[in-house]
This record gives sequence, structure tokens and C-alpha cells, in this order.
Amino acid sequence: MITKQTIDSYIEKIPPSPKVLQQTLLLLNAGDLVKAASVAKEDLALNAYLKDLVNKPIYGFRNEVSDISQIFGILGVAKSQQAVYNYMISLLSPSQWKLFKLNKSTFSNLQADLSANWQKILAHLNIVDKDIESSIALLPASIIVSEALFNEKIDDVNLLRSVNPIDLNTILKRLCKMDLFDICEQIAIKWEMGENISKIIQAASGVKPSDDEEINRLGQWMHLLLFFTLSQPNYVDAELNDFIDFQIDYVGDIYSDFSELMEIS
Amino acid sequence: MRALVKNGIGVFSPQGFLDGNNSSAFLSIDDIEATSKLNVDMVLVSLKRVIFFNRNGLDAFVKMFIKVRTSTQATVGFCDYDEKKFEAIMKFYKNDLNFSLFRSQEVASLFANSFNNQNKNVLLYSDDKSQRAAMAIELHDNGHNPIIAQTQDEFDDKSQSENAYDVIISSTHLGQMGQNITARVTGNAIIYTVSSFLDAEIGHTFNIAYHNNSLNVGFRLFIFDAYKVISMNVHALNFFSKLASSAAEYNATICFVGLTFEKTPVAFKETLEDSGIMFFEQMDDILQNKDLLHELGASSAAVVQNKRQLNKVLVTELPNFINAAVATIEMMTNSKAIKEAAKVDEIKIAEKDEKIASSIGFYGDMDGMVVLVFPVGIAKKACELLIGESTDDMELILDTLAELVNIVGGKLKTLLLDQKTSVDITLPRTYPDIDSLLEITEFKKGVQVDLAFDDDKFLFFLTR
Repeated sequence: MITKQTIDSYIEKIPPSPKVLQQTLLLLNAGDLVKAASVAKEDLALNAYLKDLVNKPIYGFRNEVSDISQIFGILGVAKSQQAVYNYMISLLSPSQWKLFKLNKSTFSNLQADLSANWQKILAHLNIVDKDIESSIALLPASIIVSEALFNEKIDDVNLLRSVNPIDLNTILKRLCKMDLFDICEQIAIKWEMGENISKIIQAASGVKPSDDEEINRLGQWMHLLLFFTLSQPNYVDAELNDFIDFQIDYVGDIYSDFSELMEIS
Repeated sequence: MRALVKNGIGVFSPQGFLDGNNSSAFLSIDDIEATSKLNVDMVLVSLKRVIFFNRNGLDAFVKMFIKVRTSTQATVGFCDYDEKKFEAIMKFYKNDLNFSLFRSQEVASLFANSFNNQNKNVLLYSDDKSQRAAMAIELHDNGHNPIIAQTQDEFDDKSQSENAYDVIISSTHLGQMGQNITARVTGNAIIYTVSSFLDAEIGHTFNIAYHNNSLNVGFRLFIFDAYKVISMNVHALNFFSKLASSAAEYNATICFVGLTFEKTPVAFKETLEDSGIMFFEQMDDILQNKDLLHELGASSAAVVQNKRQLNKVLVTELPNFINAAVATIEMMTNSKAIKEAAKVDEIKIAEKDEKIASSIGFYGDMDGMVVLVFPVGIAKKACELLIGESTDDMELILDTLAELVNIVGGKLKTLLLDQKTSVDITLPRTYPDIDSLLEITEFKKGVQVDLAFDDDKFLFFLTR
């Protein structure tokens, strides 16, 4: 169905991150928002993406924000960096989704929902770290990878899943000894994203807890956040709810904190 | 979201958070419609991966339960929850609990009319006395041995003893149970339990598709356990007469056990006997009498063999059949198949050792049977994807092989439907060795295709 070669050729096809983005990230890392904005202006698609992103209701701005330096100013260094990473991930998304009922707009909504709530969680945990803040950007990459690898095989997958409750991540792992999150890690390495980012993502899969206590804790929060988000009606409709297995035991001890923070009643 | 159907139980498995906002997204009108058309004994919603739910979230599923019950009389309810979730549901639906709650799918399967789950020693406890009794009766009717703990202390005490019970039931509640006639299997006989008044309703409550599948799969003896029947009217009489004539086509036998004729006209007995139905006073009169069992066709599923010939329709569709089997096994093993030889003849298996087989029948616009013979190696490899690890447990491999053949059947159904040929598939059968397969297929003519997966030989056989 899907072989190791399919995965290798997929990883091969991931383009290196564009120069403008590399520079923008470098400048954002150095905290130079003004210069970062002037470099970012060269990439019109990035401009459009950022404008669309910050004007989503979840950011809650009353008036439309359109200038890129204004956007960076409003977001601050960490969130700007996260937004650029989100943009980079969205570059990998297909023009037409087949496996999941998503489109450009719902996918960027998903990124925005995850990012905004991740900020809330990090504030609650008193964590200020640019890499950790940005790590959430890589999570939707697992959805893109599933789409890319499984969309041609959707009939086979559906048939298989009609007799056995088996999620896409497990199918991939059993077929190729490599799962969606390993591929996400490869993307992170190729795009020179921070090392912590992929570690947290691996833990957030819910099946590969980290030895590092802090990373594991963040993985738990991210796993629960993922399922909180994927339980929203839009994403259930997009058939995202069951693409990987929710590991309820993995998140048991943080659930009450989480429900309080997200005001779940 | 659609239910995953296995052994006559349809299970929904939502994940994450269930509330009023998203429950309708989990369950669309189409999903409910499709579920109420499912031919299952039970429809369950697993809460295993649900971390949060409220009453509004469950309500969408409860509405589905009502619809499904009305149209199919199947047992409906939630399963796979912990103590906290059980208490929450009991609280939400305190005065309105007309669905069932099963602690786990394993517990639920004890109450289903399953083929596989028989004769379990079950310890059960509920603080509601009538629930305890209801569960014990249902379990007993389904062929299990229930042991009731009368108090919580007794339950705690008994549940400590290791290996004493196959299943322990607590935090379980039986709502309205399925009205379908329960069926259980003893050896190669199928026993249906009927009770109270047999009237026109029997046409709805008797699962005719299940019965036909059983005939197709090779069962030849059907026993109606009628100890609890009070009387029968002419509509039921007609129903059983028709059932007997259709069974005769397969050379199958239908028996009634324990039916009394105090309130049922004795003339009915004669009519039924004329249509070939036999009557016995005690179940043991049949089950303990090996010669009689043999005579009635229950000693082996192969006593009666159809000597039907392959026909043109079937041969024309041969590429579809092979494609369905090959594509599925290629998908499951991630290896390429090479066709080595094809011939029309009786099935010939060169090396019988280290091979297992499975078959699936299909009927509808065309009918026949696909047999797949695997070297144990390929079977193991193909099953690894479903099981997740390699195993030497033969029972597990055969079980998984049945699922695999089910996938082949499903694929075949889709391929044929693309060409506007509609077929239904029967339950898959597995054979732990070639001899048991040959009991069924020896001397049958069919198309045999030898295939090679990497270096392993694999055999495909299509017959009628």
C-alpha cells in the first residue's frame, strides 16, 4: 500500500525553506522586527497569509490590520516567528484536499485555532520560549503528511478500516516502521526548525512519550489540545477527528487543568 | 461517522470531546439512516476515547438509538467507560434510561447473538436487583453461565479470585434488549431461541439474512429452542413452512425442541411435519445423539455438497475476483504478486503442510465462493498489519485471516458494483489445515490460480 520508498520520495520532494523566510526567521530570532518586516515584504504570499491570519476572529482585532510591520509589531517576536512557521507548513499543503474535507481557509483556521490556544496554555504554564511557542506550527504537518501519503490509497484505507479500527498513524508505522510524526520531524530538520520543536511534536503524538519530563508534559498538553481542536464541528466534518488515535490515558493527569483553562463545562 | 461492524455489533468510536456543538457533526442524518439499515444485533457507541461529554453531547446518539431500535429492534447503548462516566450517564438519564450500558465491548458481546462467544463463566453484580436478574436471564439465554453476586462485598470478594471467571460484569445496565431471535452455535448446528407467542411478528424478528448466510456458509441443522413458546398462530405456521421449504433446497433440517401443543392446534404439528420440520422433546435428544446429529447433517458442514458448475457469468468476472484478492493481499503485505498459472479443474494443493485457508461466499446477481489458500508465512505477514505484531497464536491468525477475507469480499463487492452487478457476501470461514478445506471443496470444479508473493506460493480458487 505505502512503502518505505513512497515515504523516502515524499521526504525528497520537500523543498528547502525559501531564502526570504530563512532571513525573516533569522531576524525575528535576533528580535529585529523592523528589519524582519522589510525582508518579509518581498514575499507577497507570506504577506497575504499573515494578513489573513491576524484578521481571523480568534485574534480579536477590531480593525483590519494590513501592514506587515504592523502585524509583526502586534504579534511580537515569538508569535511572529510562529506565524512564519505556520506559513511554511501551509506551503506543503495540497491545492486540493482529497482525504480530508479541508481547504486553504479551514486549514489556516486550524493553524490559527491551535496557535491561539497553545499561547494560552504556555501562559498558564509560565513558559516563555520562542521554540516551544513555535512548536505547535509543526503539528498540522502530520495532517498534510497523511493527506499526501494516503489520498491515492483512500479506498484501500477505508476498506481496511471497515473491518479493523486502525488509525492512519498506526497503519503507516506497521507498514513502514515510520509514522507520521517521524516524517514531521524530517520536515523540521530540513527546514532547520529548532530541535525542541520536533521533540515536542513526537511526544504530542501520544504514543512516543519523551524521557525529558518538561517535553513530555508539553507533549501531553499538545495532544489534548489537538483533540480538543479536532472535536470542533468544522474539523469533525473534515473527518480529521479520527486520523490518529487519541491516547486518553496519556493526558489523564492534566485534564482537569486543561478543562479549567479552556473553560469546558 | 459510520459504525464499524464486527460479529453483528456496530460500534461508533468518537474521539475527544462530545458536546451539543459537535455531536451533530459526529452523527449526520445520513449516518443515522445508514445505521438503521444495518443488519446488526447491537449498535454501540464506545466512549473509550471520549475524555469529556455532557448530556447534549450524548443526546444525538441517544436519538439515533431510538431510531435504530424502532426500525431494527437491535440492542443499543454506550460501552467502554469507567466508573465516573457510568455514574454521569446514570445521572443524566435517571428517569429516561431506555438504552443499555456495557462496561466494555467484551461485556456487550456476551449479550449479543454472537457466533464466537459461548459458554463463559460470568460473575455479575448490580445494586439493582431487577437488573441482576435481567442480566442473568439474558446471559443464560445466550448460552453462558452467570453467577450472581448478591452484595457488593460478595462481588468484591469473588472478583478477587484469579481465573475463576471468564468475564466479570459490573457498572452495566440493560435497557430494552434486542427483540431479535437469539441464535447460538453448537458444533455445526445453529440454535434459535423463540419464546411466548409466535405470530406474524416472527417475520420481522427472525433475522432471515443471518439464516440465509448460515445456509450459504454450510450450516445444515437449525434447531428452534421452543420451551418458552406458549402458542403459535397460522401466520407463524406459514412462516415456518416457508422456512422449511427454503431449507430443503440446501438439504438442511429444521427442528423444534420443547414445543407443546396445549394451546397450539395439533394439526399445525402435522402441517409442519409435512414440510419437513422435526419435533423433539429435549435438546439433549438431538445434541447428545451423535448418530442422529450425523444424519441431520450437523456432524460436518460438508455432508451435503453442492455440485454446481462454474458458469460463464462467473468466469467473465474472474479478473475482478483475482484483482480483489491480489490487491488486498498486496496492500496487507506490501509485496507484489506474480500470476503463475491458471486452470479450470478440481482444487489441487501440492504441499498441504504449513498452509491455512479461508473462504467467503457471495450471492445476489451471481453466486459462488472464493477460497484462498495461504502458506502460514504469508498469512502471518498479511495479518501483521491488523494485529500490529507478529504472532504464532494460530487462533488469532485464523481470526485475523477471517477479517482479511472479509476485506477481499468487501473489495469484490465494490468492484462488481462498479459494473452494476450487486452481490452480498457471507460470513468468512477459516480452515486451520488443508484437509478441513478439502472436506468442503474436494471434487468441486472451479478456476484455480496460482500466485507468488515474493517467493511464497499462494492459491486462489473460485467455485460455486
